[in-house]
Amino acid sequence: MIAEIGHYALVLALGLALVQMIVPAWGARTGDAGLMSVAGSTALAQFAFTGTAFAALAWCHLASDFSVANVYENSHSAKPFLYKLTGIWGNHEGSMLLWVLILALFGALVALFSANLPMRLRAHVLAVQGAIAAAFDLFILLTSNPFARLSPAPYEGRDLNPVLQDIGLAVHPPLLYLGYVGFSISFCFAMAALIEGRIDAAWARWVRPWALAAWMFLTLGIAMGSYWAYYELGWGGFWFWDPVENASLMPWLAGTALLHSAVVMEKREALKIWTILLAILAFSLSLIGTFLVRSGVLTSVHTFANDPARGVFILMILVAFIGGAFALYAWRAPALKAGGLFAPISREGALVLNNLFLTAACATVFVGTLYPLALEALTGDKISVGAPFFNATFAPLMVPLLAAIPFGPLLAWKRGDLYAAAQRLLAAFGLALLAVATVFAVEQGGPVLAPFGIGLAVFVMAGAASDIVERAGLLRLPFPTALARAAGLPRSAWGTALAHFGVGVTLLGIVGNTQWSAERIVALKPGETVSLRQYDLTFEGAVPRAGPNYRELAARLTVRRKGEVIGVLEPSKRTFPVRGATTTEAALMTRGASQLYASVGDSEADGSVMLRLYHKPLVLLIWLGALVMVAGGLLSLSDRRLRVGAPKPARARAAAQPAE
Amino acid sequence: MTRKQRRLAVIAAALGVLGLATGLVLGALRDSIVFFNSPTDIVEKEVPPGARIRVGGLVRPGSVQRSEGMQIRFEVTDGNAALPVVYRGLLPDLFREGQGVVAEGALDAGGVFRADTVLAKHDETYMPKEVADALKKQGHWKNDSGSKGAAAEPQGVVR
Amino acid sequence: MTLWFILAMMTAAAIFAVLWPLGRARPVRQGSDLDVYRDQLAELERDRQAGLIGAAEYEAARVEVARRLLAAADAGAETVETVAPAPLWRRRLVAVGVFALLPLGAGLLYAALGVPSLPGAPLAARTQTPLAERPIESLVAQVEAHLERHPEDGRGWEVVAPVYLRLGRFEDAVTARLNALRLNGATADREADYGEALVAAANGVVTREARAAFERALARDREHAKARYYLGLAAEQDGRREQAADIWRGLLAAAPENAPWVALVRQSLARLAAEPGAGGTAESGPSADELAAAARLAPEERAAMVRGMVERLAARLRENGSDLEGWRRLIRAYMVLGEREKAQAALADARRAASGEPDKLREINELGRTLGLGDS
Repeated sequence: MIAEIGHYALVLALGLALVQMIVPAWGARTGDAGLMSVAGSTALAQFAFTGTAFAALAWCHLASDFSVANVYENSHSAKPFLYKLTGIWGNHEGSMLLWVLILALFGALVALFSANLPMRLRAHVLAVQGAIAAAFDLFILLTSNPFARLSPAPYEGRDLNPVLQDIGLAVHPPLLYLGYVGFSISFCFAMAALIEGRIDAAWARWVRPWALAAWMFLTLGIAMGSYWAYYELGWGGFWFWDPVENASLMPWLAGTALLHSAVVMEKREALKIWTILLAILAFSLSLIGTFLVRSGVLTSVHTFANDPARGVFILMILVAFIGGAFALYAWRAPALKAGGLFAPISREGALVLNNLFLTAACATVFVGTLYPLALEALTGDKISVGAPFFNATFAPLMVPLLAAIPFGPLLAWKRGDLYAAAQRLLAAFGLALLAVATVFAVEQGGPVLAPFGIGLAVFVMAGAASDIVERAGLLRLPFPTALARAAGLPRSAWGTALAHFGVGVTLLGIVGNTQWSAERIVALKPGETVSLRQYDLTFEGAVPRAGPNYRELAARLTVRRKGEVIGVLEPSKRTFPVRGATTTEAALMTRGASQLYASVGDSEADGSVMLRLYHKPLVLLIWLGALVMVAGGLLSLSDRRLRVGAPKPARARAAAQPAE
Repeated sequence: MTRKQRRLAVIAAALGVLGLATGLVLGALRDSIVFFNSPTDIVEKEVPPGARIRVGGLVRPGSVQRSEGMQIRFEVTDGNAALPVVYRGLLPDLFREGQGVVAEGALDAGGVFRADTVLAKHDETYMPKEVADALKKQGHWKNDSGSKGAAAEPQGVVR
Repeated sequence: MTLWFILAMMTAAAIFAVLWPLGRARPVRQGSDLDVYRDQLAELERDRQAGLIGAAEYEAARVEVARRLLAAADAGAETVETVAPAPLWRRRLVAVGVFALLPLGAGLLYAALGVPSLPGAPLAARTQTPLAERPIESLVAQVEAHLERHPEDGRGWEVVAPVYLRLGRFEDAVTARLNALRLNGATADREADYGEALVAAANGVVTREARAAFERALARDREHAKARYYLGLAAEQDGRREQAADIWRGLLAAAPENAPWVALVRQSLARLAAEPGAGGTAESGPSADELAAAARLAPEERAAMVRGMVERLAARLRENGSDLEGWRRLIRAYMVLGEREKAQAALADARRAASGEPDKLREINELGRTLGLGDS
């Protein structure tokens, strides 16, 4: 019965989404306040019913109700509670339901907090949101219904793929979805602005926090997915340029650009039209991200549920929304009033540069991801575009962008002084040079790129720090005063600095990991020792063990450094008898920000075991940096000040920096 | 700066970055693209030794040999032609005889494929798309190739 | 009934959510650009008082906001007018439309997709069904779940093995028997059971491996009935018919009269005597469908039909020898018919036909080995 309630709730949610799409839009067209006010309560009700549907599916999963086909196919009564829970979205149908639930959640949030929005804008935003929800509700009900029933109910379920029974993988899809779907709000606002043909001040005020929230979730989701791949897939890589990873990177790049251009729009009312375009792009790429993963158009290591038949439906949704959005943009954008003016050398100018590089980088990823598809469709040739392509295109575009990061926040709005900014960055530049020299000296003939990469990372980090130092006047004013000023700085300034610092941290991790990681593949017999950098690893033997639903063979490695035992690594190979599947569990040992990584291969007849061992310097910084970025975003989000960017008065240059 | 000059500066910057990106993409598309081939393709197209390619197909049953120094030899077949592959290193979990596999590397002068990366299908139902297409093309597609072939064997092999 | 009541309530709630704002008469407060700019001015003022920004910056920012405020005030005057009192008919139309269409549409779609009559089957409800009423598959699943957690429980494997055999899951039965053998130690019974599973998995042919198992069983217990019966069957399939008859007769002579398998052995002996050359276990024939047809025929007719099929197959393969599956069926069929020489000849033919293809050749050799037909 619960399943049927959930099913009907989803049908009602579809009905309400249709009402939400049609009635407010009609009201806005005719100026009927009564009709427009329907949007809010309908959005809330739509969320309530979608939530009911999701709760019902959750109940079915937790209670192992195998009369529901989705539960039967993806669950097992003996599965641990946590994985029963995460199994709800560990499959196509459930994850799509989660997708619309998040969409409805964002719609409800807009409805709740939009009392001070102009009514027409609110009506249009919620109408567009209703249209998206209706399309995906229909998609779920017609092609991937999670409430399809089985009669008679099978007694036992078919379990979840053991590779998927991992907490990292279980948590990252919801985070990604919060990110993907979060961009739908900016998209709805952009659509509303285009439909109305004008951009309200409130519009600008709304878009940035929503884009920021979405961006934070997406950052977290990507970082978590990357960490999962790192320790679970057993290859020791953190990014594979896999189509599915690219699918999440593209909205992230567009979203990052959106975030920065929204700042310009919020503070200076400039770049409005560009921001609208980015809002459309970010959500379109999110849709493509969903599409790539869900349709099986791109099969990759991540694709567990692929079904081309569904792809056609999603393709139609994509064409309708993306095509519609761009058509509307082409038609209405020229009619929008262009915003404020600024000199090329200014904060705005720096942000435009940032946007240019980010969108160009996004375009290269787009080409690299979709080119193989296009080529195959046109010529039948099959190619794979892998890391070499992206290293040759994405990386060169990111280097100037990263080098420019520290300059941006130091430039004033409207017209800036590049020379003065460079002067303030002298200390950061000095630190970076020092880092380059130190690395050169220590490394003695290692990879040539490494010192410069480290130097760039140090520059980005030191630049972010000098931004705060400058604003607080830490070097010019008496220390207590400076401290008080630092505390009084707007949180968004701290957020910016922190996020930029995080970029530097991640870069440090990437450089350390790609340039200096050491790898050894060895076959060891019990008692044998292998050395990796300054560590000696002794293979003690293989230990068979039994887990809750698997058996595993763990290779025990004692790690010594200068003769002293510092720990034990136990990588293992797990066998799940019911699925007949095997997984490799890597073992990690953290030393500072670096890690020792061991994964185990086949065992040979003579008792030796194949081992893959890595020393990965600074690797943890990659994900730590992402966390710092998110913390910066959070700080910025908590700053509810909304101010116009004040141009710096010419005479007051020597005086304290204005807050923003 | 006049309004017009400002606008020109922005447009010039945009074109500059766009040009840079286009140049990079075109350059990379020429140099770092890896073509996917089935063993039959390799025979037909006479792929030159040293060119980086991907090869996909099924691991021919009975062809896997492990030798000293963790070197693994196996043959990749699409039912029509078979290509000897040499790989050094750890094989993925799902590497099995009769299952789909994709290897990346280059042919050596003797016609042996030296792989530096080997990807196996990643779960029980997933077959690399390229492999599936290549097998279909050769008319050797069975929906669950490996297992069906094995089940038809009159065998008591249990391990 | 409860379900329908709940669904009706849900529909009512959905309609209410749409109609409620329509029914409200009072004008809804709405934000405008003016509010935004007023907020910004207030914030600037607060910042100035808190000493966060200097007087000059404050003044510059204030002027800019004020300019926007004025511009918005000019534009805003027009928008307020358009949200004028609206005619009532639109609301009424929407209200009626939603009231009629929402339940109708939702009801129709749900009727097409849903299965309201099907009760849920959560685990809690299913475990309450008495054991005897549960389907055999469910019991097996339960044992499997247990074995998944305790794969070293030999007794569990022993319990589940005969069930597998009965359900026709022969491969699983083999695995289970092998596990029981490994975990509980070898006895004559376990060896013989393992062999029996192997025979079942090989469609009734006593393979070389199965024969080895039966022989191990006999080594432990010279009188083991099951092992002896199957060795007799092996002899029959090898064409050593006299030897088969001897084994079975010996088995009968030593058998306690009430042993359940006595009937089976008598039947086998009778078959051996009555149909020289045409015996065979029912499960092992050219194909399942043909066999099902054969099973319904009288013994003589059946023998003729089987022979006919085998001859047709042999003729086809003489013309086109590339069909590996065909050769396999032919060789097996000869084995089952007890015609060892013909099987051997067919094997040689198959090898010749596949001489250019090492793949097939290996499979054919493998088949020969498992059937115990000459080493090559």
